[in-house]
Amino acid sequence: MNLHRLRALVAKELLDLRRNRAALLPVAISTLAFLALPLFIAIGVPLASGQPLGDDADLARVSLAVGVHPELTVDGRVQLFLFEQFLLVFLLMPITGAMALAAHAVVGEKVARTLEPLLATPITTAEILAAKVLGAMLPTFGITLAGLALYLALVAGAADAGVLAAILNLRTFAIAVLVGPAAALVSLQGAILVSSRVNDPRTAQQVGVLIILPVAALIVAQFMGAFWLTAADLALIAAALVALWVALLLVSIALFDREAILTRWR
Amino acid sequence: MIAVEHLTRVFGSRLAVDDVSFGVGGGEIVALLGPNGAGKTTTMRMMAGLVSPTGGTVRIAGTPLTRANAGALRARIGFLTEAPGLWDRLTVRENLRVFARIYGLPDAERAVDETLDRFGLRDRAGGRAAELSKGQRQKVALARALLHGPDVLLLDEPTAGLDPEVARGVRQLFLELRAEGRAVLLATHNLEEAERIADRVALLRGRLVALDRPLALRERLAAGRVTILVRGDATALLPAVRRNAPDAVAEGSVLHVPVADAGRDTPALVASLVAAGAAILEVRPEVPALEDVYLRLIGPDGGQA
Repeated sequence: MNLHRLRALVAKELLDLRRNRAALLPVAISTLAFLALPLFIAIGVPLASGQPLGDDADLARVSLAVGVHPELTVDGRVQLFLFEQFLLVFLLMPITGAMALAAHAVVGEKVARTLEPLLATPITTAEILAAKVLGAMLPTFGITLAGLALYLALVAGAADAGVLAAILNLRTFAIAVLVGPAAALVSLQGAILVSSRVNDPRTAQQVGVLIILPVAALIVAQFMGAFWLTAADLALIAAALVALWVALLLVSIALFDREAILTRWR
Repeated sequence: MIAVEHLTRVFGSRLAVDDVSFGVGGGEIVALLGPNGAGKTTTMRMMAGLVSPTGGTVRIAGTPLTRANAGALRARIGFLTEAPGLWDRLTVRENLRVFARIYGLPDAERAVDETLDRFGLRDRAGGRAAELSKGQRQKVALARALLHGPDVLLLDEPTAGLDPEVARGVRQLFLELRAEGRAVLLATHNLEEAERIADRVALLRGRLVALDRPLALRERLAAGRVTILVRGDATALLPAVRRNAPDAVAEGSVLHVPVADAGRDTPALVASLVAAGAAILEVRPEVPALEDVYLRLIGPDGGQA
């Protein structure tokens, strides 16, 4: 893979997005929505109902999944549990917003008839596909990280004392820096694979949205208390996701039929 | 510089390009003519390594184009696609810059600047591609195809949509590119353009129907008639002419005389006219226009005549 070519195309993707900021609106909206939700549940509901979270015996018991944390009150531990639960969701949900970008990536170029001049250069299929994934992922990741900073700032301002310090751990780091980007790579690569096989942006987008299903399953499973992922688990998941991304990239390359795209898409 | 040998492409049951062989040398312009669906674009795409031939080979500077070396060889080709294909939200400069970097030009900015100057696009450099007129878009696309200084240029309808002044400038550019030793293949529907600038013309209709210099093509299909301009009314000379050419006709002071071989038969014809007292002002073989040749070989409705 030629990094100069890859960088050139990624830069084009980013520039194109900068000129079309509205395309990032779904990412920003989902980030803000999932920023508000945990605050509402962990802070707003107890305030409104006058019933501290720690009074709920089940919640207090389940919250032990995050560890005993003797420095925190029971309320604080439940808040930590909720904020950590939502963290994974918070970091994954913006990916669904980026789906539209990725789903449009190849078929959009074809419809605009900008793909053929690009294919006539020495650029390889792997470079095109990787650039498309990075072009959708980097701004999404940037928005997500900005959202994370805001999330932590709100935790610092609204949660009990010590919750912020407790949330700044290896697990949070693993979610933010490893699992989030790796999951984004897999999801966006999947959307781009779809994008290179259909001939209508709307179809690509509809199929791409199906990628939300595994994310939704993860959310439900977490809240059912089905599992608690440690930092080591998360690192392994991230490694598996990266391997899956590489496999998906290879499949995408194999299925990216330049000739069919040029001669059969109308 | 670029040559195709027995190039064939089948799409499903449709034979799009059938056993086509020709070459374009350095410093040569070849015009590819043919009706819609004649296989011009498919031929160019095969030459650019974008579509694989079902049979035959493409050679660039003697090297056969393969799947393995297509990327490297594409760096030697400038391909102007049928549609300009510019990224609308990017400026003209940004469009060119992306390609300059993809081609790995050592000084991308300088190459972009030089290209902008060459095409007179400097004042448009900061404008978004979406704001350009059709002609300007085509010009930018052409600039993009030339950005990396390719040896071979494959140009699909390069002057389509350009106003006459710009089209003339573009044609002048092709002549400059020829003078620089580049091989230029241009697909066009503009017969006048082909005749004006092409060294050779390839008539394509799935198969290669004809390939030659424009004048040679016209001469090859000459009607086999000689036009003779005489002083006064030519009708009086008809009896003398019709002794050897019964189908000769007169129109005012012009005689149209069918001959089997203009080179062989004209001297005797002129001698007989002079003997009959004709004052001959001009004698020339009738050569059809390229358009006539095209229509005769390809047919007015795209069907082979």
